[in-house]
Amino acid sequence: MSKQKFFPVTRRTVLAGTGAILATPAILRHARASVTLTVADPGGPFSPAFRKAFYGPFEELTGMTIANVAREAEPTAQFKSIVETGTFIWDVCTLTLSARKILETQDLLEPTGVEAADAPGMISEALFPNFVGTDVYSTIFAFRSDKMSGEEPKSWSDFWNVEAFPGRRALRKNPIDTLEQALLADGVPLEELYPLDVDRAFASLDKIKPHIAVWWTGGAQSTQLLQSGEVDMLSGWNARLQAAIDGGAPAQLVWNQGLYSIEGWGIPKGNPKADAAREFVKFCTRPEQQALYTSELSYGPTNQKAYDSIDAERAKVLPTAPANISQMRLASEDWWSENRAEMSERFNAWLLI
Amino acid sequence: MTAATLSPARSPFRLRVGALWLAAPAIAFLVVFFLIPVGRLLFLSVQGDGGTLSSEHYDRLLHTEVYWRILVITFRIAGLTAFFSLLFGYPLAYWLSQMKDNRRNQMLLMVLVPFWTSYLVKAFAWMLLLGNEGVINRLLTGSGLAGGSLPLMYNEFGVIVGMVHAMMPLAVLTMMPVMSGIDLRLSQAAGTLGASGAHRFWMVYFPLSIPGLAAGGLLTFITSLGFFIVPAFLGGRQQTMLAQLIIVQVQELVNWAFAGVLATMLLATALVATWIYNRLFGLSSLSATEQTGGRTVDGWTRRIGFMLLEKIASITALATDHVLVRDRRTRILPAYSAIAIFFLVVPTLMVIPIAFTSSRFLEFPPPGYSLRWFELYFNSPIWISATVRSFGVAFATAILATLIGGMAALAIARSRSRWNGAIFAFMLAPMIVPRIVIAVGLFYLFAQMGLVATNAGLVIGHTVLSIPFTFVATAAVLKGYDWRLDQAAASLGAGRLQVLRLITVPLIRGGIISSFLFAFVTSFDELTIAIFVSGGLKSTLPKQMWDDMILQLNPTLAAVSVVVLVIVTAILLVAERIRR
Repeated sequence: MSKQKFFPVTRRTVLAGTGAILATPAILRHARASVTLTVADPGGPFSPAFRKAFYGPFEELTGMTIANVAREAEPTAQFKSIVETGTFIWDVCTLTLSARKILETQDLLEPTGVEAADAPGMISEALFPNFVGTDVYSTIFAFRSDKMSGEEPKSWSDFWNVEAFPGRRALRKNPIDTLEQALLADGVPLEELYPLDVDRAFASLDKIKPHIAVWWTGGAQSTQLLQSGEVDMLSGWNARLQAAIDGGAPAQLVWNQGLYSIEGWGIPKGNPKADAAREFVKFCTRPEQQALYTSELSYGPTNQKAYDSIDAERAKVLPTAPANISQMRLASEDWWSENRAEMSERFNAWLLI
Repeated sequence: MTAATLSPARSPFRLRVGALWLAAPAIAFLVVFFLIPVGRLLFLSVQGDGGTLSSEHYDRLLHTEVYWRILVITFRIAGLTAFFSLLFGYPLAYWLSQMKDNRRNQMLLMVLVPFWTSYLVKAFAWMLLLGNEGVINRLLTGSGLAGGSLPLMYNEFGVIVGMVHAMMPLAVLTMMPVMSGIDLRLSQAAGTLGASGAHRFWMVYFPLSIPGLAAGGLLTFITSLGFFIVPAFLGGRQQTMLAQLIIVQVQELVNWAFAGVLATMLLATALVATWIYNRLFGLSSLSATEQTGGRTVDGWTRRIGFMLLEKIASITALATDHVLVRDRRTRILPAYSAIAIFFLVVPTLMVIPIAFTSSRFLEFPPPGYSLRWFELYFNSPIWISATVRSFGVAFATAILATLIGGMAALAIARSRSRWNGAIFAFMLAPMIVPRIVIAVGLFYLFAQMGLVATNAGLVIGHTVLSIPFTFVATAAVLKGYDWRLDQAAASLGAGRLQVLRLITVPLIRGGIISSFLFAFVTSFDELTIAIFVSGGLKSTLPKQMWDDMILQLNPTLAAVSVVVLVIVTAILLVAERIRR
């Protein structure tokens, strides 16, 4: 198996320089000083934020080196290729809950070994035998406050109410979350969403369809839509919408009836460096580390104890802050993994009519 | 046309074998790095759960209407894109082909400008131009020309604008070398025999330019079939293309069997369309098969074609001779060309001020100016190494693809083998197969060969994608090539290599330069293969931009585009100096 020899060698030669500089002397570190973990994160603003919160402190503590690379929005295809060919170019990778589910079904994930008892304060939904959540994001909506005279929209029913709240609207060109939003707009209570009443959801979508000016497809695009004023109201991921607000756009977030989900670490099955990877993953559950990234990323720490060291003003824009998370619920990955393929087909067909 | 019929037909057997042999490197390369990896992946589509042969995935396709509707939409968008790229590109290519070499090369730089701006950045530039609060709408409502904002984007119009913009340079660059090769004395001869200006154009010039038109149409059509960024950003709810669905199956649902089904569907229908196109418009002229069979079929289509052209000529003759004053007519072409070039460069023109913005967003006009995005770029070793790697990989790709693609084109042009058609289709195949399918297939192959995350892997992957372009661009100029020149040289005692070096290559230089540029640009702007093959470790420029913009778009992208534009312009200008 020459391929398995090829890799570590090339990578080591590339990273040797970096490793040598960063491996400052310490008693504990000697044995592991030469270990380099390649960590795939979502890139963009994540890379510096995670370096500050996780990579830097972990290197400091253990003497290992973390080389971070940016992964795709949905890295499942690459993850699968990596495991099936035994080409471990990544040792740890961030996954969404849906990616976790898919990879678990295909038996591509290594156990993380992190138990609830090891990580006090973690929300229970963020721990799986093969996954450790690092951050919570939520799908909510935002509106331009400069375009809303008088009353402000407060719920998905208001988003659907084009008479009371006129203006251009945008939704995501994807059935995930959009079907839930349609049901919430139609009066289904947040607690009783799942299993989704699909026919009712599409009937509700029929009502809003003529009023949707833009069906967005990417997170960066949603920021642009809100920031430029192309639309007055849109669904989106909280941090992407917050980015427009941080950049000075006159807009407000509506947390009510939001759906949150979790991103976290997974380890490719069969990874020869799995032990070191597990050590890193466990390190990332520490609340004081998680609190560090919130100054740069508006995502919610999965360890609620992190809020002990986050200032109250910043906590307002984080999904897991008690005031926000109490108005939302976790999107059901079980329902979606069962129905996603079928819903994609039906949603795509519905869009064309 | 007589020139082409004369030579290969009478060549001795030895030459024919020798000529086809030239296609061997390209065929071998594509078999190893394209056919096998893609075939392995597509084979998944006929496998059931236990690895047995099964048609279950195809049954699903047959019973789900939505995929067929999206296939129709995909064809419609690609067809419209090809049509408008040719329509708007033809006069521009004609205007360029009439120029003196020096001036043409300067003007070509302008046509090439959109090539040097990443299509990711271009898509966002169009969003700023066409949006509801965009530049055009603000100008229109501000000047009172329009009462309210016009819907220029998030519909079919927006998609076509974005795609024609991306494809027009390709169409122009494919048509122009063919047009330059047309002997203008033929038109003059028709004139002395009493043909009007319109007749001279439609009956003489236009038919001679058809090989270029056909090559341009084919390239733009098939390239457009695989688009996904432009419809995602500029399209509305009804503009979904098949490549987008394939990506969802590969990346989000990880159902590679069904992705294989959709890819096979796109591939099969693209082949059928190419075949029909070929039959109707005599595309086969490209692969030189017109001299063999099919003469009768070509015969009546050709007669009908000429009848049509005759009608068009008479109508245009009426219009131009009576409505327009003679000296105004001569100004129409330059004026049109100026507008067309403006259309091509305007998104790039917008990127330049945005690169100097003080804002965190891509806004136009920028609220203030600063150099912070350039500082960020020049202080980042990641961006710099990605830039250097992209140039290196693109350069290596361009040399490799021009060489083996060009040799294959020569083989086809010189041979009358019945395999020509098959080889021709095979050379184009990498264009039709969605890149994501090639990328996943290559990852598996490269993992076995130890080529993942290497520069060599990137060059090989990009060469696979570039061969169709270099092949067609070279084939198109060879079509109009007078082989008697080679024979003349040979009869004067030149060896075959000497003929190639001293006669053929210098005469088809335009096509070779086009090939080189196509391949360079294909590699330089390539994202999908880079995502898989680089694994994030050997990042190229588009990959680095993509990483940066998945979540958050910032003006670094614009700054990078400006840097690239400056470097490329400098290189092209220096190259121009040296050549003179």
